[in-house]
Amino acid sequence: MIKYSGVNKWFGTLHVLIDIDLEVATGEVVVVCGPSGSGKSTLIRCVNGLEPFQKGSLVVDGVSLGKDDAKLRHLRMEVGFVFQSFNLYPHKTALENATLAPVHVRKLPVAEARARGIAMLEKVGLGDKINSYPHQLSGGQQQRVAIARSLCMQPKIMLFDEPTSALDPEMINEVLDVMVALAREGMTMMVVTHEMGFARKVADRVIFMDHGAIVETAEPETFFTAAKNERTREFLGKVLQH
Amino acid sequence: MFWSQLDRVMGYYPVLLKGITTTVSLSLIALLIGVAVGFAFGIMRAGRNRPLSYLVGLYIDFFRGTPFLVQLFIIFFILPAIGIELNAFTAGVVALSNMAACFIGEIVAAGIAAVPTGQTEAAAASGLTKAQQLRHVVLPQAVRIVTPSLVGQFVLLIKDSSVVSAIGLLDLTRSGWVIVQSVPNGLLVFAIIALGYFVICYPLIWLSRRMEDRGQAAIL
Repeated sequence: MIKYSGVNKWFGTLHVLIDIDLEVATGEVVVVCGPSGSGKSTLIRCVNGLEPFQKGSLVVDGVSLGKDDAKLRHLRMEVGFVFQSFNLYPHKTALENATLAPVHVRKLPVAEARARGIAMLEKVGLGDKINSYPHQLSGGQQQRVAIARSLCMQPKIMLFDEPTSALDPEMINEVLDVMVALAREGMTMMVVTHEMGFARKVADRVIFMDHGAIVETAEPETFFTAAKNERTREFLGKVLQH
Repeated sequence: MFWSQLDRVMGYYPVLLKGITTTVSLSLIALLIGVAVGFAFGIMRAGRNRPLSYLVGLYIDFFRGTPFLVQLFIIFFILPAIGIELNAFTAGVVALSNMAACFIGEIVAAGIAAVPTGQTEAAAASGLTKAQQLRHVVLPQAVRIVTPSLVGQFVLLIKDSSVVSAIGLLDLTRSGWVIVQSVPNGLLVFAIIALGYFVICYPLIWLSRRMEDRGQAAIL
């Protein structure tokens, strides 16, 4: 479903992605972790073309990225993206946030889009908030609206970029629960997160990145108990302490 | 003395009425054109097409950096020299619309730049085209941000329209000049003219302030 081959990216002279080779199968859940600045967000932002890269190839759902813009837009319909800072449209209600792309990109009839939007908002536990504006919702609720907004496009892949990092601790679980449910339904997911509990529960693989390179890839059990790399163990020591 | 003079000034109400009509219609037409062209300028200025953005920026800066009276003279006196004949009213509309478009363009560009990049990223990530991102996500938010400044700009536009009296257009200011020929009390006549402008502008000033107050509350 997603295949990186020798992907390299530079921000000016800064080498932010180094020789990335990675394959994510349909239905697989991959958790990406690593210290800040290690390139993990950049890694998943490449998948839907939010970040261009300079070398290598990245094929997502049969589309090779960086080639032509019309295909990129088509690909983006199939790839949901959830941001750390939610990025809900502040001038639109929860339901309008959810239906904007289905109506204007998928060209769904408004009534059908609304029905789907309501269903998705109910799915994330916000059936009673469909007419609320983002500023009337808590951070956890906003992030769940953002997830529902992505799901409304019925994507094949969901990307999460530190979805709980901007949330107060008591709101983290309501978002993670939605993500766990999604993973169990068989969604193909790449999740940048430090929530190791989530990784343990649903990840098929955990990837550790450092300084732009993938340092370690392992199944969760192996990753947490028998990491091979020194830097991985050091990082885990820091995040698992609390 | 005062009352008889006031009476005589009021006797000229058809001239005053003509003047106020010209000022209001001139300002209103320039406002509509200025908003339409100004939004186009602002979108191009804030856009990612560098050469286009630079050119529009230069154009805007040129008209922001030259006196309106000089711009008006150029349009009224120089364009006919190259074969473009304009009557005074049209020349006034063109000059005023152009200046309004430049100021509004700069305001709109700033408003677009003030919309967080996360908004366009979210819109792009869901597959919206550039035009759809602008129409459904960026512009509605930019308009909210800039509306108080725009309304403030409308006030300046109405006041700047008084400059068109210099090319002989009978606007509110020029109607003062006409009346003062027969009623030799400049203070009285122009106090009435000033009051006329204030009556047109005050609702806008009030509206702008009210929106600014509410806007600040809404941001929180």
